[in-house]
Amino acid sequence: MHRIAAPQQTLSEQARAHPATAPARVGFGLRAPHYDAILSHGLRCDFAEAISENFLSRGGRAFSVLERVRSDMPLALHGVSLSIGGMDPLSEPYLTELAGLATRIEAFSVSDHLCFGTFGGHYAHDLWPLPYTEEALRHVVQRVRTVQDRLGRRLLLENVSSYVEYRDSTLPEWEFLSEVVTRADAGLLLDLNNLYVNAKNHGFSWLTYLHALPKDRVQQIHLAGHSDAGGYLFDDHGSPVSAEVWQLYEESLSLFGALPTIIEWDERLPEVSVLEAEADRARVLANDRLARERQIQP
Amino acid sequence: MNLAELQRYFARAATSGRGPLPELDRVFLGNERLSAEDRLAIYNRGYFYRLLEALASVFSQTKRVLGESDFERLGLAYVAQHPSEHPAVERVGRSFSAYLRRVAAPPLVVDLARLEWARLCALVAPNPASVATASGIDAERFPRARLRFVPSLQWLELDPRTLPVFAGDISAPGAADISAPGALAAGGAPVAVWRREHVVHQLCLDEAEWKALLRAASDATLSGVCAVFDRGSQTEDERHAFQVLSSWFGRQWVAAVAYDARQPNSR
Repeated sequence: MHRIAAPQQTLSEQARAHPATAPARVGFGLRAPHYDAILSHGLRCDFAEAISENFLSRGGRAFSVLERVRSDMPLALHGVSLSIGGMDPLSEPYLTELAGLATRIEAFSVSDHLCFGTFGGHYAHDLWPLPYTEEALRHVVQRVRTVQDRLGRRLLLENVSSYVEYRDSTLPEWEFLSEVVTRADAGLLLDLNNLYVNAKNHGFSWLTYLHALPKDRVQQIHLAGHSDAGGYLFDDHGSPVSAEVWQLYEESLSLFGALPTIIEWDERLPEVSVLEAEADRARVLANDRLARERQIQP
Repeated sequence: MNLAELQRYFARAATSGRGPLPELDRVFLGNERLSAEDRLAIYNRGYFYRLLEALASVFSQTKRVLGESDFERLGLAYVAQHPSEHPAVERVGRSFSAYLRRVAAPPLVVDLARLEWARLCALVAPNPASVATASGIDAERFPRARLRFVPSLQWLELDPRTLPVFAGDISAPGAADISAPGALAAGGAPVAVWRREHVVHQLCLDEAEWKALLRAASDATLSGVCAVFDRGSQTEDERHAFQVLSSWFGRQWVAAVAYDARQPNSR
């Protein structure tokens, strides 16, 4: 087994090492329309997540925001352009810049999506689904190992929402995801909204999915909103977390504990206070779970 | 199909500007609620509109001047021919102004796009490792010194109407008629674009300052740069040169004063 030593104790490891005493950690993603508010007032959350590509080799206001937030709280880096499942070679300049940024801000985690997003030297700027085959599995595992070696740390992979299924797929999504992170010794960033959207779009049980995941690999949670596009659910990150996804969150708390959790919001972005309220709701649920665990402990 | 073939097929379907590919049903599953074609159409729409949205965020004034429908038509045609080559989506507009010129868009529109691209480059440029001050200059070695500019500094020649139109001033001469021929034939307006702290600035330069900037950027010594100020009155020329060079330091254009020619320019 190819093992990568984590460079520092991550928030998720703290949560695992001291499940009953570590406080729940909840935050949200940094978005440009909030930069002025962040520079003026900071953020009210436990940690924040930055989209890696928005800060690579970049100065000015974006980097000031990153430095300001980092001086107050831990930061997670979350990428959208790694294309871990793509056939194009991994971009060396991208990995160099990503490694530099992760070091510079002492990112407590580096994540990207289990998908492909490059084609013939071009970027799709989308998270295209992979066929769930043995060939794809071997390909992704090899590339995850390469990235982890290059970054000198464990990579977290997020399950993506999807609207198509390949006829050639031979594995269910949860099995493919579990096999990738286990064989590559990677972490899993579990996006519960994506899981719910896929369960509805492709007609599988989200409980089956959740219970099939390797518990020790799940290290972070994403929560977001979706919309009903008529005939399918669309993962647009443009509304509050739905009641069903909150239900999934409660189930995940009982399965995986109170892991670091990020609220994502991209479309129709509201004031920071709305994101803080969503984060508060997640924190209450997570802390309730922790309190119950403390009561159970002798 | 193997993995490479499946990905090529998916990419073709998701980026096709000519409707659905044949045999979609042989590659993807559909159901009674949503066919394979409907499903791929979600990715196809998402691909084009995400890139169009990125273009609109960078070229907001170009879009305002062109109008919503012309911008969408030109933008979609552009992204179909110029897929993104950069991990950051806003960089998809790298060739947009050249494309507009190629399709014979009005020169003012082309130059607005050039200005907005320069502003993006200034906005996202890395922070300079240092910013030099005029007081730090070694007077003895000044004539042989060279200036190293900050990464955000851009310079370009534009239709003189570009800056007023960018600022929304349609009362500027010729600004109301974007299809009117540009004034570049009579000599464009030299413009500098740079970022100071978090704000992008732009400024029209006079002819002497423009020449001086081009010389300094091409690694001339400061005595070579000052030689462009040559109107015949030594006192007046020295005053002008001093004024211009001081303003460069004041605007924080200068990252370093290099007294060693081998010290590379940081830009």
